[in-house]
Amino acid sequence: MTGKKKDVLLDIKDLRIEGYSDEKWIEIVHGVDLTLHRGEVMGLIGESGAGKSTIGLAAMGFARDGCRISGGSIEFDGMELTTTSEADRRALRGARIAYVAQSAAASFNPAHKLIDQHTEAPVHYRMRKRLESQEDAMELYERLRLPNPRDIGFRYPHQVSGGQLQRAMTAMAMACRPDLIIFDEPTTALDVTTQIEVLAAIRDIVDQFNTAAIYITHDLAVVAQMADVIKVLLKGDEVEEADTETMLKSPKEDYTKSLWAVRSFQREQKSRPTGDAVPVVSVQEIDASYGPTKVLDNVSFDVYAGMTVAVVGESGSGKSTTARVITGLLPPDKGKILMNGEEMPPSYKQRSKEELRKAQMIYQMADTALNPKVRICDIIGRPAQFYGGLKGGALKSRVDELLDLIELEPSQYYSRFPPELSGGQKQRIGIARALAADPTFIICDEVTSALDQLVAEGILKLLDRLQKELNLAYMFITHDLATVRSIADEVVVMKQGKVVEQGPKDVMFTPPHHPYTDLLLSSVPEMDPNWLTTLLEERGVDNVGEAADV
Amino acid sequence: MNYFVIGYYALLIGASCTAAHFQSRKAFLLLFSLTLVSFIVGIVGGESALWTITVFAGVIALCVGTSFAFREFLVIVGWGEFSKAMKTAPLTASFGLFIIGTYAIAGVFSPIIAPYGEAEIITSAFAPADENLLLGADQLGRDMFSRLVYGARNTVGLALVATILAFLMGAIGGLVAATTGGWLDQFMGRVVDVIMSVPSLIFALLLLSIFGTGVTVLIIVIAIIYSPRVFRLTRAVAGNVVVMDFIEAARLRGEGMWYLVRREILPNSTAPLIAEFGLEFCFVFLLVAGLSFLGLGIQPPTADWGSMVRENATLISFGEITPLFPAGAIALLTVAVNFVVDWMLFRSSGLKG
Repeated sequence: MTGKKKDVLLDIKDLRIEGYSDEKWIEIVHGVDLTLHRGEVMGLIGESGAGKSTIGLAAMGFARDGCRISGGSIEFDGMELTTTSEADRRALRGARIAYVAQSAAASFNPAHKLIDQHTEAPVHYRMRKRLESQEDAMELYERLRLPNPRDIGFRYPHQVSGGQLQRAMTAMAMACRPDLIIFDEPTTALDVTTQIEVLAAIRDIVDQFNTAAIYITHDLAVVAQMADVIKVLLKGDEVEEADTETMLKSPKEDYTKSLWAVRSFQREQKSRPTGDAVPVVSVQEIDASYGPTKVLDNVSFDVYAGMTVAVVGESGSGKSTTARVITGLLPPDKGKILMNGEEMPPSYKQRSKEELRKAQMIYQMADTALNPKVRICDIIGRPAQFYGGLKGGALKSRVDELLDLIELEPSQYYSRFPPELSGGQKQRIGIARALAADPTFIICDEVTSALDQLVAEGILKLLDRLQKELNLAYMFITHDLATVRSIADEVVVMKQGKVVEQGPKDVMFTPPHHPYTDLLLSSVPEMDPNWLTTLLEERGVDNVGEAADV
Repeated sequence: MNYFVIGYYALLIGASCTAAHFQSRKAFLLLFSLTLVSFIVGIVGGESALWTITVFAGVIALCVGTSFAFREFLVIVGWGEFSKAMKTAPLTASFGLFIIGTYAIAGVFSPIIAPYGEAEIITSAFAPADENLLLGADQLGRDMFSRLVYGARNTVGLALVATILAFLMGAIGGLVAATTGGWLDQFMGRVVDVIMSVPSLIFALLLLSIFGTGVTVLIIVIAIIYSPRVFRLTRAVAGNVVVMDFIEAARLRGEGMWYLVRREILPNSTAPLIAEFGLEFCFVFLLVAGLSFLGLGIQPPTADWGSMVRENATLISFGEITPLFPAGAIALLTVAVNFVVDWMLFRSSGLKG
């Protein structure tokens, strides 16, 4: 960070970008300045729609379809990108500026081997011969601590894991030894344990080659580990910029402070009712399988009224499958589901309307959970009509009441369609639909993981308020431990279809833990900029991969 | 070198220069390459070849002009959503709509528009065109133009009814198959495979020779032949919708199949279905024409474009273009429908919600 050459590599001045919508051009980035020195890592943070990715792409002189750079200057190493020809700009991309996309799985061509995709750019720019480039790829794979660096390149993208793919993508970006790499949310789609590997790998390699980088993310703790300088954006405007230490310790603007404060939302922990209260939902010794593959093994836990049970684990640990078993979408091989002490039929098809009404679900992706061709009033009104038999005026007032409950103005949202709403609003509609059935138990399947932190916090607070008002029981499926910390009363940790550990939250968050819980907990990025370094030292650098297999 | 040729080149070069002056790259390239091509064509084919180019360009310009004017007309006359959609519609779409509209008017008001009856013999066989007979007479001395107008009613009407029936059968089947899945899906899928494995024309010939050639039988046979394609498309489209979370939510609510199909799946599959409707309509239309050509379609003396081509086919060997009129009518409608369908596909491909 210090001692590196301080000459300017990228100098963006008064950048303005317009987007085309509803038959006119609307400015979406309003004059942003950005200066990046050689070997420096800048973190760009902000909510979605803040223009992070758009600015990131503009640094390559590129605007997405339907966008155009309408003003300002982008100077890369003395070259003005807004006025140079497309051919010259193309010659820069891949060779001197590289881009790492959010989803490596979607960005690799599934029909070609990793190493063939790696060698494409260097061979195209005649920087290296094919074989030389392959050698180089293997070396990079080794530096990025990919397993079997000499062979892994000869696999196809679907044959390696998500974290490995993201590292292979970083290696590919490095193939031409660019001066600047733009990382666009490279770890957002990964589990916490995998995220660590990728973060460590990216940081090392950027350091080793003295590459400058723009790191785009909405996760503050991540950016604290990666960046030398942080720039906060809001709706296409710069809020403030400072070096990481200052920014974390003493943010100036209110908006930045509110971003920092998100993670501090925490409500009081409730404990189980004493005496012989019957749990709202009791999962008893459930085994389940998809075809011959066993996915759940002897899973048991209880959820009491007014309480939140958080189910945590990596992807593939059986969290969502448990939800499918409870709702009856996947009849279990063995074991029982009790609701208020009564045994439920294993399949939803055999359950009565009344039994179905009591357990509702809120989905992760509000986009696919709401029918885009149905009006909000019908989406929310249908369960009320279906279960309660409400009609006409009674139905309308119920829908208004529900919209009020989720803090959306009824007159404004009553007859709109889901695609017209923002992500957070859609998720609220999803909650209203669940509430419309007047349930006693709601399954929240990663409800906040697709949302920005501020919006997510709003949703969590809403859920918390509803729980208090309506005495609901929640089963909260998540891989984000910060969410668990803020909303859960009890925690169930799952791994490979088994419950590893369960108990009240305060017990779960104080050592000693089960080794796997420990791994999960320690992998959650913290705001301390030295956290990653300390953690890697504790684990021993080479153990990053192994630790995940504990 | 006469005035026409001089004027021809002067106009082209002048237009090219104007385009260049206003920095309109595309127009300049088009005009100037046309000028260069005209030099060669003019040397090889002489003045008459240049006339052909002029007439051709004139026809295209006329079509473009009509389409443009018709689009403006629809924007002003149209209401709400349609008017808004027309504003961004390509010229080809408004051209297609114009042709379809013309055919529809010809079909609905054919007795008023046509100067003579469809089976009325008014003159000698193959009489040439004059003031009374716009397009001449056919092999029995009936007015070609009148029969073309009546043909719009018979052929297009039959194709329309048959397509709608095919769609009702195929779409409902496909939606039910995708929603229920399991053995019903498999069973319907295999039945459809069997129907599709028999070449459609041979299948139609077989059924028509068993059940006779009434209009009702014809419609049902065509609907049976075409419903499998609709079934497969609907099932594929609905298959993508069925896996969405909102369908799962509706199922968990305890909704019945009919509600799922009607309220949740159908609204999300209409766009590709409408586009497919346009395409199927053309195929059905061609099959009807083909069957009529073979003598199994609409029976004489009812006017029908397919049989009109067959009846007048002998004229081709005498260098007459009369049989090409009904064929052209078929071709024009097919092109028009496809223009509109392309536009709908473009709209449904996600660029416009």
